[in-house]
Amino acid sequence: MKAPLAGVRLADFTIHAAGPFCTQLLAQLGAECIKIESKARLDAFRKPHAVYGRLSAATFDQVSVNKLSVRLNLKQPEAIALAKRLVSISDVTSESFRAGVMQRLGLGFEELRTVKPDIILVSLSSCGQAGPDSHFAGYAPLFGAWGGLGWMTGYTDGPPVEMRHVMDHSAGIHAAVATMAALHQRRRTGRAQHVDLAAREVASAMIGDALILASLGITPARPGNRHLSMAPHGVYPTCQPDRWLTLAVRNDAEWLALLRELDQPAVASDPRFATAPARLQHSEELDALLAQWLGACEADATAERLQRAGIRAHVSWSMLDIANDPHLRMRGATTEVSAPNIPPRAAVGAPARFSKTNEVGIRRLTPTLGQDEDYVFGELLGLSTAQRADLERREVIA
Amino acid sequence: MFIEDSPHAADLPLAGCRVIEHSGTVAAAYAGRLLAAMGAAVVMLEPPAGSPLRTAPPLLQDTGHSALFASLAAGKHSLVCELGSPAGRRMLDRQLENADILIDDTPLQEREARGLDRETIAARFPALVHVSVRPFGASGPKADWDGEEVNLLHAGGEGFLLPNGLCYELFPDRPPLKIYGHFSEYQGGAMAAFAALSAFWAAPDVGGQYVDVSVQDAVLAVGAFALQRFGDGSLEHRSTRHFRYGGVFEAQGGYVELLTLEDRQWSALVELLGRPVWAEEEALKDPLERSRRGDEINRHIRKWMLAQHVDDIVRGAQQLGVPAAKYRTPAEVIDGEHERARGLFAPLMLDERVRAEALVAPFQFLCTPLRAAERVPALGEMAHESPA
Repeated sequence: MKAPLAGVRLADFTIHAAGPFCTQLLAQLGAECIKIESKARLDAFRKPHAVYGRLSAATFDQVSVNKLSVRLNLKQPEAIALAKRLVSISDVTSESFRAGVMQRLGLGFEELRTVKPDIILVSLSSCGQAGPDSHFAGYAPLFGAWGGLGWMTGYTDGPPVEMRHVMDHSAGIHAAVATMAALHQRRRTGRAQHVDLAAREVASAMIGDALILASLGITPARPGNRHLSMAPHGVYPTCQPDRWLTLAVRNDAEWLALLRELDQPAVASDPRFATAPARLQHSEELDALLAQWLGACEADATAERLQRAGIRAHVSWSMLDIANDPHLRMRGATTEVSAPNIPPRAAVGAPARFSKTNEVGIRRLTPTLGQDEDYVFGELLGLSTAQRADLERREVIA
Repeated sequence: MFIEDSPHAADLPLAGCRVIEHSGTVAAAYAGRLLAAMGAAVVMLEPPAGSPLRTAPPLLQDTGHSALFASLAAGKHSLVCELGSPAGRRMLDRQLENADILIDDTPLQEREARGLDRETIAARFPALVHVSVRPFGASGPKADWDGEEVNLLHAGGEGFLLPNGLCYELFPDRPPLKIYGHFSEYQGGAMAAFAALSAFWAAPDVGGQYVDVSVQDAVLAVGAFALQRFGDGSLEHRSTRHFRYGGVFEAQGGYVELLTLEDRQWSALVELLGRPVWAEEEALKDPLERSRRGDEINRHIRKWMLAQHVDDIVRGAQQLGVPAAKYRTPAEVIDGEHERARGLFAPLMLDERVRAEALVAPFQFLCTPLRAAERVPALGEMAHESPA
């Protein structure tokens, strides 16, 4: 049966990672996403990315799967007029410019509302549409730094740690959640909505508990891999180089089960480790013991054995493990994609499994620039071939 | 800037949406929290002893309140429901009869006994969107595996890649490091909220359905770029996943994050550094050359940063258009001028006496502003409101 968001159309002005991740999620659930770009302002995946060590354009770009591509040179008034026509036939318009840019382009919320009275505009930015920092541009590590997540992450005796793409994409999921809520609101009330998502605020939401403590004058500590009530808890070496085992023992019963599985019955009577508070108090000694015991174990077999014994354990997986994992593949969380210019490779599939609206996931791969103009400009906007040729000649469509 | 048409409860984005949440994990509770923040009526069904999240750390030392639970439960309602008992089952039925969405994280093998298995729910409540949120999902060969945050961050691939940059350089021999708190579970929760609202969107056409969300899947989804890089032929590793230059820098009074991806940002950085001779070298105008010589560039920047105050660096960077930010502490975030201007935080009563502040929501709806949750529900408070 069809996809849950079949029939929903997006006019997508977002670029880079966070905004496109949001619209990619909607597109994986069936929305029709029209990506509006131009050769003058190529999205990151269409260019080399030296800072990441990528020396050419990406052949496969996860965050543009399922998207249709059209070109519009937004420096031209006629392109703005066409952009507005796309907005007027779309349910949702998304953008990730710096605050104020859409208004300067003539595509601000109030302007768009005149062509689409029940518009849903989703603005995703680093710092939001208003506030003293709203003009700051940023990337994922800066979101984490501003929002406090970077400060709270790290070894207790070390520096803060930078967040990477997961921070962009987390902002994207939250934008997708808000987009869906706005769609429901429109269905119920028929009214327009402007969603303002600041990625740094998503980073702050990830330390919601620490912020509550801070509001009460308490200084939350940077815990590293430690947990405040579980011990042992952390990431431990195994007999294989750089093959780590993650372990979280939640209570005394699991602790005793762990000792049985690791064949350490004598330790069960050690008062230093008899209760959770005692284990927390002696966590350094405990971690040293675990490193010694697990250091003799094979990682994958141990994780399976511990799971069977009711203990939460998992190997620290690289992308090689993930690409080859049958569980993820069976769930559709990973899927194989290929095209004439793309040898078979693993990609991230549908974000959830639906019992009825199950036609979700990747339908098409990375669009070439402007590949869907016949459909979008021709069929949807009704432009003739001659009109489009003229617009191309004058670099409105470019 | 803010457009307020007529802000009252019926105008909230999810007004009228009724959610039943049965959660013992952060992921399911966060899904409910996001929906509640947008105006859904969210009822937590709790066992008589209360949700295990009520005692999950971090705890306030003097009162024992869980700051984690407060951040997750704000704005919800609490109903005690002993699902193993016939009375509890009747109460569950009454709640579900009036609900649009059920969010449940009960382990699969315990669901039938509690009346929460997929088949029973589908048969009795065909219009209900039934969202299962499990660490490894509800289907597939590892559906019966369980995991805490530390396991899930690594099962989804991001844990193996942390830390990177300065922290890795300082401690290359330590085990990989998790992100603070419950990052993975928040991704799972947000994905569950997204999937729930998507299935609810389709409900007029197809009725209710069962939705299977996995925290591991969500971690992988947000880490998709690493899988993309793998497909490109590079297996990412924390030792090499650093920006060629830029990253975390120690300065006077704190740490700075600096990242220049565009040529104009590099030029602005050179300006910020005071146009030192090394940075004006012609060859460094080429981004590829800068990437090749990233370590050398970072050595220069580190030396410069150490001699400056973090606030001066960030102020100068912002004036020049260099993407840079201070690593702010939670106290700095909660007192932040920008956050205050945006109304990001609002008072939250943890009980009748303890007043904290908490984040309202990680998004704003400018036409119908969200309303901050005022309190954390006491266990079973609904029994006093409307006897079940």
